[in-house]
Amino acid sequence: MKAEHKEAVISEVIRRITVEKIQNADKIPLETIIADTIYHERKRLENGKTTKKAMPAILYWKKMNKRLIHASEAEKQAMLQELSQNFVREIIGNFNPKVYQFATKALPILLNILLNAMSPRIFSSHFPHWPELSDRLLVQGEIQLLQQLAQLGTVILVPTHSSHMDSIVVGWALHRLGLPAFTYGAAISLFKNRLIGYFMGNLGAYRVDRQKTAVLYKEILKEYTTGMLEYGYHTLFFPGGTRSRSGAIETHLKLGLLGSGLRAYINNLIANNPKPNIFVVPCTISYQLVLEAEHLIQDELKSTGKSQYISEDDEFSQIRRILNFLAGILRLDSRLYVHFCPAMDLFGNLVNEQGMSFDHRGRPVDITRYLLVSQKIAPNIQRDMQYTRELGEEIQKSYLKNNVVMSTHLAAFVVHELLKKHNPEMDLYRLLRTGGKEETLAIHEVYEASERVLSKLKKLESSGQIRIDPHIRDASVDQIFDEALRHFRAYHTKEILVRQGDRLDPNDCNLLYYYHNRLLNYELEKEIEG
Amino acid sequence: MQNYDSIGVVGANSWGTTLAHLLGKHGHRVLLWAKEPEIVEDIHQNHRNAKFTYDFPLSEKIVPTQDLEQVARRCEVVIVSLSSQLFRPIVYQLGNFLHADQILISACQGLESGTHCLMHQIIQEETCIKKIGVLSGPNLFQEILKGSPSAGVIASRYHEVIHKNIHIFSSPDFKLYGSEDVPGVELSGIIKNVIAIAAGIADGLGFGSNTKALVVTRGISEMARIGVKFGAKPITFTGLAGIGDLIVTCSSKLSPNYRVGYYLAQSQSLSQILRELGTIAEGVSTVKVLHEFIVKMKLSLPILGGVYTVLYENRPIPEVVAELMNRMSQFEFDPTMYTELREA
Repeated sequence: MKAEHKEAVISEVIRRITVEKIQNADKIPLETIIADTIYHERKRLENGKTTKKAMPAILYWKKMNKRLIHASEAEKQAMLQELSQNFVREIIGNFNPKVYQFATKALPILLNILLNAMSPRIFSSHFPHWPELSDRLLVQGEIQLLQQLAQLGTVILVPTHSSHMDSIVVGWALHRLGLPAFTYGAAISLFKNRLIGYFMGNLGAYRVDRQKTAVLYKEILKEYTTGMLEYGYHTLFFPGGTRSRSGAIETHLKLGLLGSGLRAYINNLIANNPKPNIFVVPCTISYQLVLEAEHLIQDELKSTGKSQYISEDDEFSQIRRILNFLAGILRLDSRLYVHFCPAMDLFGNLVNEQGMSFDHRGRPVDITRYLLVSQKIAPNIQRDMQYTRELGEEIQKSYLKNNVVMSTHLAAFVVHELLKKHNPEMDLYRLLRTGGKEETLAIHEVYEASERVLSKLKKLESSGQIRIDPHIRDASVDQIFDEALRHFRAYHTKEILVRQGDRLDPNDCNLLYYYHNRLLNYELEKEIEG
Repeated sequence: MQNYDSIGVVGANSWGTTLAHLLGKHGHRVLLWAKEPEIVEDIHQNHRNAKFTYDFPLSEKIVPTQDLEQVARRCEVVIVSLSSQLFRPIVYQLGNFLHADQILISACQGLESGTHCLMHQIIQEETCIKKIGVLSGPNLFQEILKGSPSAGVIASRYHEVIHKNIHIFSSPDFKLYGSEDVPGVELSGIIKNVIAIAAGIADGLGFGSNTKALVVTRGISEMARIGVKFGAKPITFTGLAGIGDLIVTCSSKLSPNYRVGYYLAQSQSLSQILRELGTIAEGVSTVKVLHEFIVKMKLSLPILGGVYTVLYENRPIPEVVAELMNRMSQFEFDPTMYTELREA
């Protein structure tokens, strides 16, 4: 964010929040909003590890509490302003435009160095030629459309989310396309690694603290993203919220931040902004191996939805794991796809290179008319929430259509489904714990089922329902499994699937299940029956 | 911007004409689109639709037309009352002229063959409209035209659609209730037509009220089970669009679907019944589409399955009745339904 915009956005966010709260004080008194914020913040701090670092904050909230008890209406307004100021400044972080300029130029070079020089030993022993990152990280899809739309208006990029690597990978892909770095909300935990945090902050990442549950904080976060979009900053949201713990494509999208797009668009139209349009570009990121897979699937299985937060101490916080992972990618001739899907407007209609919207039958749509209230453009909370929900549904459909099937997904899917078939009496957890009654599966059965699944996948691909990695589309099942098995033994702590003569041993059922889940929701299970 | 001065009704069948009359009676200018020139002429000249609403005098506020573009240009709210076979092509044509601020309501009670699409889904696919609604309920057109107090349900994800329709239809003898459960309300209107055939069979065989109650209540259960698969809320089936509509269609000889079942039980052939009916019995085509869906989803829905085998596999009715009664009884309520109801 440009320095001159930073202060303007801060003061605009504070102004909007305070004006709105003061105007509605007859419905929700200011005292309630401030008390709610104090309560949630104290609860968060007191429930956490009470380190010395947290003590000043705890004292601050205690003081605020005392101040609130005797506060006049004017004093409450001042307190609201102060809280808003604190939150928005914390969200923005320490952005330095000079570092931003340096970082945007340095990032691709740094990434190349990181990827290529992480292990001289690996490098010298395995690569006679300097491997190119662009051979591994394949950027495809509606690239020209994205480039055009970024000129015509503001782009909200909404990728699938499996790994903290995603933002780096997308950042690199955008840079290759000649686009500026997108702003995005990154979990505050990522800023704990000083080096990563420093660059992330200066590459446009703003801080999102998911442990802050006060309504005021969430509203400020939304208003901040709205403001950034109004100022024309291309933005990246992960609508899945957190990384997919199960490994599946996101099916439940969080729409809160996505709704900022529509608010910004309405504000742009009302303010006669010369470039009011905001475009939504879904994007799928498909890995053969996922850096944090072990941790994510453990978390998924441990609590199946009960855990709110994934432990911060996962693979992404361990530089050595990142290096091992990246070394694995290079050593294995591994691929990683960033697929930019067809762009949409904020109502889920497809958009062309001129920024025009079209209905499902290809007829142009004047989208400003979705926003008319008594012939004037105006917000309407319930209506706009529904528009955003429908946009979310279209994004989800786009994810499924543009998911790239890779060898590891196919192999894991078939083996896990065969284990299920052979052990119908076992529930999922028992199956994952024991691996089923038999220790191994006959390879011919696995291959036959794989042929059927692959053939169904090809049919789905021809009707635009999914994408297949071109490297496996015409490969034999034997070749596909060969590649998958090489990946499965390369990086994770345990070898996931082991070949023993003419049998396959599912060695880590949790991870098999994780990679299997990428192919859920395509009704491929029927193909296992034969 | 557009100046809308009318309410549109597309489809001058009995239900479409009745809705147009209701709106006209409440003082709205109504553009009623009909495919057939003779209907347009009849309404224009005589203020009646002899083919579908007989001699009933229609509101003079109704302006009949064959021009879909005019309906789309002049009406903020357009209600579509067509058979499920005609629904997609006509809505596509309408989509050529509609704009994003307009409201489109389906008053059709059918399911598209092959795609298993509900009518609101067809509107989503064929037009740019987002503000979509579904109108359903216990509404026999003859009684509404007579002015008997009646009510229906308007379902939409958009409150604006609900409020606007409640307002335009509100009158001393007709009212609408709102719902957010679009698939639930739409499916209620669709599946009840098949249950009505079963109820007609029961009456045609001379069974009494006990049998009727059995068909209706187990029918509701089957409606809810299939509805959940479409994302509907089970509680919707206990409302006006569900049990309300079922009570009417399963007990009134005015219901064409009921009549189909009744005469089938009297040993008349389906083709003869349909020829003599003079109107469409949506349940006959719906059960075929529902059957495809039931097979695909591996659902066990004995009444719907039974009606299908009678209509399309020519199974003798007594044999089907015996099979239904010989099925092993389960708990009346599936535990998953409790969960669904609690969540609703």
